[in-house]
Amino acid sequence: MKNEYVPYPATIDFMRQETPDAKTFRVHFIDPNLAGSFRYRPGQFMEISVLGLGEAPISIASSPSRHGSLEFTIRAAGSVTKAINKLSQGDTIYLRGPYGNSFPFEDWRGKNVYFIAGGLGFAPLRSLIHFVMDTRNDFLRLKILYGAKTPDDICFKEELKEWEKERNTEILLTVDRSTERWEHTTGVVTELWKKTSIHPGNSVSIVCGPPVMMSSVASQLLKSGFPENDIFMTLERYMKCGIGKCGHCNIGNKFVCIDGPVFTLGQVKLLPKRENVLYL
Amino acid sequence: MRHDPLKKKTIKKIFKVDIKELLREVSHEWDIYLPQKKIGGDVWFEQVPKAGKDFEDALMEMTLEDVDTVVSPKEIFFPQLEPLFDFNEGNIIEIAGSSPKFLLGVKPCDLQGILFADEFFSRNVKDFYYGNRIKDRFIITIGCLQPPRPDACFCTSAHTGPFAEKGYNLQFVDTGDAYLVEVGSEKGREFLVRFDSFFIDVQDTAAQNIEQIKSKASESIQLKLDFEKAISLMRSKDTVPEEIYRRTGERCIYCGGCLYVCPSCTCFNVFDDAKGGQGTRFRNWDACVFSGYTREASGNNPRHEKWLRTLRRYEHKLKHDCEISGISGCVGCGRCLSSCPVNIGMSSFIREITGEKNEK
Repeated sequence: MKNEYVPYPATIDFMRQETPDAKTFRVHFIDPNLAGSFRYRPGQFMEISVLGLGEAPISIASSPSRHGSLEFTIRAAGSVTKAINKLSQGDTIYLRGPYGNSFPFEDWRGKNVYFIAGGLGFAPLRSLIHFVMDTRNDFLRLKILYGAKTPDDICFKEELKEWEKERNTEILLTVDRSTERWEHTTGVVTELWKKTSIHPGNSVSIVCGPPVMMSSVASQLLKSGFPENDIFMTLERYMKCGIGKCGHCNIGNKFVCIDGPVFTLGQVKLLPKRENVLYL
Repeated sequence: MRHDPLKKKTIKKIFKVDIKELLREVSHEWDIYLPQKKIGGDVWFEQVPKAGKDFEDALMEMTLEDVDTVVSPKEIFFPQLEPLFDFNEGNIIEIAGSSPKFLLGVKPCDLQGILFADEFFSRNVKDFYYGNRIKDRFIITIGCLQPPRPDACFCTSAHTGPFAEKGYNLQFVDTGDAYLVEVGSEKGREFLVRFDSFFIDVQDTAAQNIEQIKSKASESIQLKLDFEKAISLMRSKDTVPEEIYRRTGERCIYCGGCLYVCPSCTCFNVFDDAKGGQGTRFRNWDACVFSGYTREASGNNPRHEKWLRTLRRYEHKLKHDCEISGISGCVGCGRCLSSCPVNIGMSSFIREITGEKNEK
C-alpha cells in the first residue's frame, strides 16, 4: 500500500515575483525516476510541505504539455506559504500529489473557451491556458477575462502580453483600484461584459477566484444564457490531506479534494446552499 | 425452505475463570487490548503491557461487563495523536510497521464504529496508517445485558446492538459464570480450534438460550427513537428547520467533546512538531464544530456562523454518511449525550426533528 502522506523532495530551479505578495516557483523532483514518471492534468493541485511548519494545498500553475515543467504561484497567506515565499533558488521543498480531478478539456474540442479569473485564482487557469495554447488547433476562440485588486496584483504580466499576440485570442483586464498608468478597465470582473461578448453556444467558461467574484460571474453567465454544465469552476476549501480523509474540505457529501476541485456550476448548485459555496 | 439460524451454528462456551489464562496464551502472538478500570473509576480500552507484573496488573483491572469506555476502541486503529513520519535535516524517515491486535470486550455499537471507519479509510485512496493498524486484528465483542449508559444508549433504534450481527470474529454472550461463544468469521472458527482447550462444547439448548438472553437484553434498552424517520427527514431536502440547528447551536459550547468520543468520527488535522531541522509530522483528531475547521488562509470561512457547524455535525452523521456508504454515521452509543457538558446529544436532536417527546 502506498503511503500517500509522505512528500518527496524537490528543488526550486527558478522563482519570479508575480505580485507584491506572491511568487511563481519552478521546481523539479530530486529523484530522477519520480521526475520522469510524474504526470498531472490542468486543474489538479499538490500538497506542498515546509518540514517543521506543515503543508498547504497549492494549484499547479504549469501545464503538462510543457514537459518537465512544474510550477506553482503561491501567495504568502498562512505560515507555510509565508515560509515558502522566503525560500531561494536551490532550496528544497517537499511535494505530494497530484490530487483532485481536473478540467475535462477533451470535451471542449472545437469550442470557444472563455477563462474568467479573479486574483490568484488565475494560477490554476494558467495551467489550462498553457495547455490550450499548446493544443491551439483543438479550440476555437479564446478569451481571458482577468480581474485583480490593483495593477501590481496582476500575475503573469509578460505572458499576458504574449498570449494577446496569439490568433483569435482576446485578453481583457480589470482592477478594483486603478493607477494613472492603467490602460485597461477599472471595476469588478463582470464590468468586462461591457467590453466583449460572452455568448453561450459551442462555448465553455472556466471560472476561478474568490467566492464573491465567482458568484457574480456565475450570475452573469447564467444571465447571458450559459448552460450550467458549460460553466466550470475550481473551488477552494481548507484541505489537509488531499485524499478525502481529513474531512476539512467536505461540502455536503462531497470532498473538494477528490470530487473536485473542478465542478460545473450545475454540480455546485446541487451542493447544500447552507455551505456558502456561492452566493447566488 | 426457511433457513433456521439456530441450527448449524457453532456455539462453544468458555468459563470466566479461564479468560485470564487464555489472554496469557494469546499474548505471545498478539498485542492485547482490553477495557481496564483505572484509578478514578473510568474505564479505558487500552493495550495491556506485553508480559510480567505489569501484564498481570492490567489483567486485574480488566472489566468486561456492561462497561462504558470513555473513548471507543476505534482509537486503537485511529489514535487521537499519531506520528506520520520523522524528519531530520531534510530527510524523511517513514514510520511504518504493524502488530497483530487482539481486542476483547468490544461493545457492539463500538464494533459498528470500527466497521464504519474500516469502510471510510479504505474508500477511494486507502489510508496507509489505518490500513497498517487493522492488519491481523482479532475482535471479540461482548454484547450488553444492560445498557452501559442507561439514559443515553439507543442501539436498538440504531440497529447496532445490544448484540452484534456481523463484523466480529467471536462474540461472547454472558451467562453468569461463563460466556457462550458465537463464531462470526473463519478466523474466529480457526481460533476456537487452535485454543480448543479453553472452549468447551455446549448442549443443544445453547442457541435457544442465546436468543433468550439477546431478547431480554434488547428489552433493557429503554431509550427508543424513530431512527429511520430521522434519517429520512435528514435526507429530504431542507426539511429540518434552520431554527432547530440555531437553537441547538445556541446551547453548544463547541468543545468538540461529542466528536472526540464518537465511535465513527474520522476527521483529523495534520501538524509538525519540530525543533531546528528535526521533528515529526503528526495527525490528531479534529472536530467539525471548531471554528478553525474550515477557515482558509485568506480568512474566508464558509462555516463562519456557529449554527452552520452544528448543522454540519448532524447532517454528516445522519445524512451524508448514509448517502455515501449507506451506513449511518451514528451508531447509537449515546456517548455524545453522556459526555456533553450542556446536555446536547444525538438522541435529543433526533427527537426534536421527529417530533417525539423530548424529556430529560
